Amino acid sequence: MDTDAGTLLRQLTLQPGQGVLNHRPELAQQYAAFIDCIWAQPSPSRRVLELCHRRITAIHGQSPQPSMDYGVALTGDELKSLQRGDFAPFSADEQLALAVAELMPYNHHAVTDVQMHACEQAFGAAGAVNLLVALAFFDVNCRLQLTLQADQL
Amino acid sequence: MSTTPRIKSAVDGQVENFATVTAHNAPVMQRFFDLYGSFWQQGVLSPDLKEMTRLRNARITDCGY
Repeated sequence: MDTDAGTLLRQLTLQPGQGVLNHRPELAQQYAAFIDCIWAQPSPSRRVLELCHRRITAIHGQSPQPSMDYGVALTGDELKSLQRGDFAPFSADEQLALAVAELMPYNHHAVTDVQMHACEQAFGAAGAVNLLVALAFFDVNCRLQLTLQADQL
Repeated sequence: MSTTPRIKSAVDGQVENFATVTAHNAPVMQRFFDLYGSFWQQGVLSPDLKEMTRLRNARITDCGY
């Protein structure tokens, strides 16, 4: 296990509910390595990923997940904007990614061809693939955590 | 909903599908299939049960995959 995966695995263990993943340690390790890999890609930037992560957790009414903390600092105003779903303060590329993130949890079929073409132009094909995979798994992580917490109630 | 492949296949001569599109990002694809392979090949749930829930999830989310 590399260092980042190990760190993330420990964070997962500390997350309410997500310690359950360690009933399947090999699965937990591979999940952590997969998430690490998403954040390690050159495109989109970690800042773009963090903005999207924060927005998707806000849509689900969740707090930011320590297991997705890759050290990106956002200002208080930026965080408030993300909570409101106000993307105006962000750059064009950031707004593009956030617009797709907004649709991923509950309205993924509404993502348009125009949006995806723009994503490919902005982030490259590899970056666009990474963005979509990241958005999907930010959503997965929220749903997994919500479900496991519900099981504990 | 898209009616055409949004990102072209990364594999010459092969049509667009999950694998050939994600192949644009080989490291992410490899890590995903490592995880997915472990999910399907190990554990106490039978592959039949996993497949049944996968299909149900696909129907609910209107996914043709």
